[in-house]
Amino acid sequence: MNTLVWRLHRGQACIAGAALIVLTAVLLITGIAMSGTYHDFVAGCAAARDCGDPSQVLGRDGLLTDWGLATMAIPLLFGLFWGAPLLATEFEDGTHGLAWTQGVTRGRWVSRTVAWALLAALVWGGALTALVSWWRGPANALAFPGVRFDPGIFDIQGIVPVAYSVFAVALGIAAGAAFRRVLPAMATTLAVFTGLRFLIAEYARPHYLTPASMLIPFGPDNGPPGSWVLPSVVTGPGGQRYGSFTFQDVPAACRSLWPTPSYPPCMTAHGYHDLITYQPAGRFWAFQGLEAGIFLVLAAALIAVTFRLVLARDA
Amino acid sequence: MNTQDSPAIRTAGLGKRYGSLWALQDCSVSVPRGRVSALVGPNGAGKTTLLKILAGLSAPSAGEAAVLGRAPGQNTEFLDSVGYLAQDVPLYKRLSAGDHLEIGARLNRHWDAGAARARLAALKVPLGRPVATLSGGQRAQVGLSLALAKRPRLLLLDEPVAALDPLARREFLASLTAAVAEGDLSVILSSHLLHDLERVCDHLILLAASRTQLIGDIGDVLATHRMLVGPRRRIAEVEPGLTVIKSTQTARQTRLLVRLSGPVLDPSWAVTEVGLEDIVVAYMGLEASPADGQLTEIGAAQ
Repeated sequence: MNTLVWRLHRGQACIAGAALIVLTAVLLITGIAMSGTYHDFVAGCAAARDCGDPSQVLGRDGLLTDWGLATMAIPLLFGLFWGAPLLATEFEDGTHGLAWTQGVTRGRWVSRTVAWALLAALVWGGALTALVSWWRGPANALAFPGVRFDPGIFDIQGIVPVAYSVFAVALGIAAGAAFRRVLPAMATTLAVFTGLRFLIAEYARPHYLTPASMLIPFGPDNGPPGSWVLPSVVTGPGGQRYGSFTFQDVPAACRSLWPTPSYPPCMTAHGYHDLITYQPAGRFWAFQGLEAGIFLVLAAALIAVTFRLVLARDA
Repeated sequence: MNTQDSPAIRTAGLGKRYGSLWALQDCSVSVPRGRVSALVGPNGAGKTTLLKILAGLSAPSAGEAAVLGRAPGQNTEFLDSVGYLAQDVPLYKRLSAGDHLEIGARLNRHWDAGAARARLAALKVPLGRPVATLSGGQRAQVGLSLALAKRPRLLLLDEPVAALDPLARREFLASLTAAVAEGDLSVILSSHLLHDLERVCDHLILLAASRTQLIGDIGDVLATHRMLVGPRRRIAEVEPGLTVIKSTQTARQTRLLVRLSGPVLDPSWAVTEVGLEDIVVAYMGLEASPADGQLTEIGAAQ
């Protein structure tokens, strides 16, 4: 079985290997440059005892956001080009009938084929995230272009890219087993993967753990460093909370100051604060673990569906 | 059941339904071992369905099937004993014939690599090129070699020669005949090309309207069917020992294709032998089975 899987997919493995080498080269070149910039900056601000606005430092290299976002699509590519065609090609070409009449049972055929594809997703996903996590080191330290919980930053490092890769491949395989055609399997993979990733990032991720809350001076919603600030409410002098805070609610003494810089301190002086909710920076790995867990459980369910489809249906 | 003495295939009331449509219905056949059996019938008669069930690729909706005494299923003893070549001979198009042989060697326990390579070499089929670049005849030979290299006891071939030119067809059938001559192998070969089948097969299974219509050794089938030509008369007046399969009436003449259960007694008939193709076509035209049952078994009683 292993020979069969290797013979059939060695071309794809070589292409993926080459792509990984190219990506490694790009990330190494830009990563080393960023690392240099970062160290110069940190040394500079230590000497001057003032770091100013760190967000502009790495942005000058102009490479950061683009390359970071680009790696977000890679798990989807695994799903589209490894997962979806894996079984669908066999059904489309009729070669499943050839494979299923050799001396190995269908169960062994599907388990070996699927296992190798998932292992490849695991290895490539792992290599990818190891590279990107290293590459983002200086950016993480400077919290640029945002905190580590932000979409596009959270999703390209840590352990979630591995889970996304495994899920995408499992999704492609299951779609291929269900439709038995490559194109519908790819289309389904594309739609379900992007849809689910968006829904989970947008609606589920902020609620993985009960957010912490904190009263801060009236003004911008700045949480503790590196934390993920969620929606906030304004609290008044009597401790009352404003669901929506309008200009009518502003005390007369401060109204004339708006929109000058003296306006927020005036509000704070009159007893108005912001009650922010936030996910502390220290929860990054817990969130990574929870999100990875969700996608791995979904992947396991899809593989179970695949086995059912292959074993129960006729050739 | 003793798997050594059991027939090559035996089915009882076998049926397969897709949605509300029966692709195969009430199929009860038994084929002894060592036969090269021609599976014939019009399009949609259920030939492919029957072969898929026998190969373990499809689960029956009704009835049961036994191949060499075993129910088709996902166990290695069954899988080892059956070779199958699907319609259009699916192969991994980017892989070479050599790759296919190597994979087959890994997936099967009784692989005969030498014979397969020798056969393909003798036919000058290149082993190193992707099979997508081979001719249809060469691909069919690769498929047959793969199926034979398993050393199956039963070989199921689903219209393997339909897409081939006459020369490639003849070479394919010659390879098949040679393989049958070598060992204890039963073959079921479906095809529309009766002429080819007559050359290599010694047994016939005729499916029509999703049911078995006729089954038996080809020699017996030929021996028990005759064309009768005589003065015009009503079919009901034909002597009881004859079963009319097909009749043609003109103003003065009656032509009958009949199955005999004894000699033709009425001397007014001019009796001639009929070819297999005419017999098969006559049975295909039947709305229902001529006899009471679904099955006309030829030679079984002797």
